[in-house]
Amino acid sequence: MLRFIIRRLLVTIPTILVVITITWGLIRLAPGNFYTGEKRLPPAIEKNIREKYGLDKPWHEQYGRTMWGMVRHLDFGTSLKYEGQSVNAIIARSLPVSATVGILAYLLALLVGITFGSIAALKQNSRWDYGSMALAMLGISVPNFVLGPILVLLFSLSLYWLPPSRWNGFPSKNLILPVLTLSAIYMAYIARLTRAGMLEVLRSDYIRTARSKGLSERHVVVRHALRGGLMPVVSFTGPALAFLLTGTVVVERLFALPGLGNYFIQASLNRDEPLILGIVAFIAIMLLTMNLLVDIAYAYLDPRIRY
Amino acid sequence: MRIWILVSDTSSNMKNDHSPPAPHPSRGETPLPGTVPPLERNPDADVIHTPLEAAIGEGDLRAAEDGAVVKGSSLWQDAWRRLLKNKLAVIGMIVVGVIILASLLGPFAIRKATGVTPEYIPGDAALLKSFPPFTSPDGSFSWKHPMGTDTQGRDLLARVLQGGQISLMVGIISTLVSLLIGVSYGAVAGYIGGRVDDWMMRLVDVLYSLPYIIIVIVLLAMFRSQTPRGQLILLFIALGSVSWLTMARIVRGQVLSLKNQEFVLAARATGVSTPRIIFRHIVPNALGPVIVYATLTIPTVMLSEAFLSFLGIGVQPPLASWGSLATEGIANIGIFPWQLIFPGITMALTLFSLNFLGDGLRDALDPQMRKF
Repeated sequence: MLRFIIRRLLVTIPTILVVITITWGLIRLAPGNFYTGEKRLPPAIEKNIREKYGLDKPWHEQYGRTMWGMVRHLDFGTSLKYEGQSVNAIIARSLPVSATVGILAYLLALLVGITFGSIAALKQNSRWDYGSMALAMLGISVPNFVLGPILVLLFSLSLYWLPPSRWNGFPSKNLILPVLTLSAIYMAYIARLTRAGMLEVLRSDYIRTARSKGLSERHVVVRHALRGGLMPVVSFTGPALAFLLTGTVVVERLFALPGLGNYFIQASLNRDEPLILGIVAFIAIMLLTMNLLVDIAYAYLDPRIRY
Repeated sequence: MRIWILVSDTSSNMKNDHSPPAPHPSRGETPLPGTVPPLERNPDADVIHTPLEAAIGEGDLRAAEDGAVVKGSSLWQDAWRRLLKNKLAVIGMIVVGVIILASLLGPFAIRKATGVTPEYIPGDAALLKSFPPFTSPDGSFSWKHPMGTDTQGRDLLARVLQGGQISLMVGIISTLVSLLIGVSYGAVAGYIGGRVDDWMMRLVDVLYSLPYIIIVIVLLAMFRSQTPRGQLILLFIALGSVSWLTMARIVRGQVLSLKNQEFVLAARATGVSTPRIIFRHIVPNALGPVIVYATLTIPTVMLSEAFLSFLGIGVQPPLASWGSLATEGIANIGIFPWQLIFPGITMALTLFSLNFLGDGLRDALDPQMRKF
């Protein structure tokens, strides 16, 4: 197991560096830079700014400086757009927002998805099965930026039950709509995966053994079938995090939440290089670490897997 | 030794089929409709190399059994028949067909009927606003704008249909790009095998773990706003080049199981070159799963396109896709909800149908890949 973790780390770390390098390369290859805007800066000022941020140095020196700062001090520099704010401070400030929405959405999706997926599998080919699977397909097919505004139209602008946007701290009514919007697609995926996994497990020999031992149906399902049937859901956690990322970008923009995704898009549109690189690096590190953890959890849950 | 082959209905779950080979029925017996009689095939051979599903269509068996000349049905015809039995898939296929046709012909038909093009902005200032569906400027019922108009007074139906052209084009072309990369990559890795295969697949593993959507966002944001057409091409390439990974894995798996079969050996023995073996002999035989996965890739790519258009880095005006039309509608959701709802529903319906069609194709073409 330890060897497996070390081997995976040896792949993970270069991968993170590759992601950062690709991003850096893309920013540099594109024509123009942060200062080429509608309003032209006087050349003297532009020259001063370029010197201050090291943009006048040759490219390999800039690359070396950027990477060294990241690797050595975990320092991503200062944002160009939000003057005087360090990238680290922006990430630290926006991460809790994204994480709150993301984690709540994922928990809700797990709860609803596993419940409906299991029901669909246990009552295969019943009305419950077809109903929840059609709903799941709908959840996969309706883009979240269409679903979100429709929910707003319904619950905020017509019924006046919930606030339509803005961040208002953790336990607040403002969170309900973003979390619902974000979790719809996961609910759908998790329900489908649970159903497929459960159906496969319910036909296996050990479930027949458990039944023939005379265990109650509840016991068979909860203690025996769910553990095996949820394996696909566990392995979905890795891709789900990637989805979560794109999902939060949409939801944060829709509901005007000051989260990581919103900052990332703004930074990309503004060509705010240090902020883009910082957020990309942060996301890459988080995502790949989570993937590693999922693989370890997988090995732990399924004793047949040996690395 | 005689070989008996039991051909079970391939659409049933093959894993649970452990029944022993059935005895050969008497020659004169006519097979029951819908069942396939066991077949005695090539009694002198000891081993049969070709997997049944790949080699024999149901019709071939019956023809061989009766000894009569019956038009053999290919694997494709069998798959087609299985697909037609799946109601949801058929409905999906029809809906997709209707939407494609409407997108292609609709804008012309509307111009013929009402003289309005998708870009037509009325000259009269009184018409420069968003009218609800089926409403004429004086508030009475009218057939002129079944989906209403957008904020500039343009006919929404015409715009949605024309947006369909762009959305479907992005979906199909990006999927073709991913097919091209994925099939070549997977086929080469699988056929060459050994260390090359190891390294090529390890690269795929690494790419799998990349947060590619971030890279796409950075790419599109950085190279944005050259020209709308340029942005569209960039979109094809960006979306196509990030969605080939699963395709490569599927093709590689297929090639691994095909490459040691006799027809490949025969091709090699007659001196066919390696690229020709890969692309003319092996790839066509691996086409089933490829088509299935390609069908399921189209809705995913269309969703990504809509997502990028929502962020303002996808399709650029004056071109419009369902994603960018819906995005325009979001800004006015409280006042002109139809501006979001119609493009949104059209898009959701298309993706919904494509997903069902893809699931149906999977069941029909590749029963073993089926998840119950």
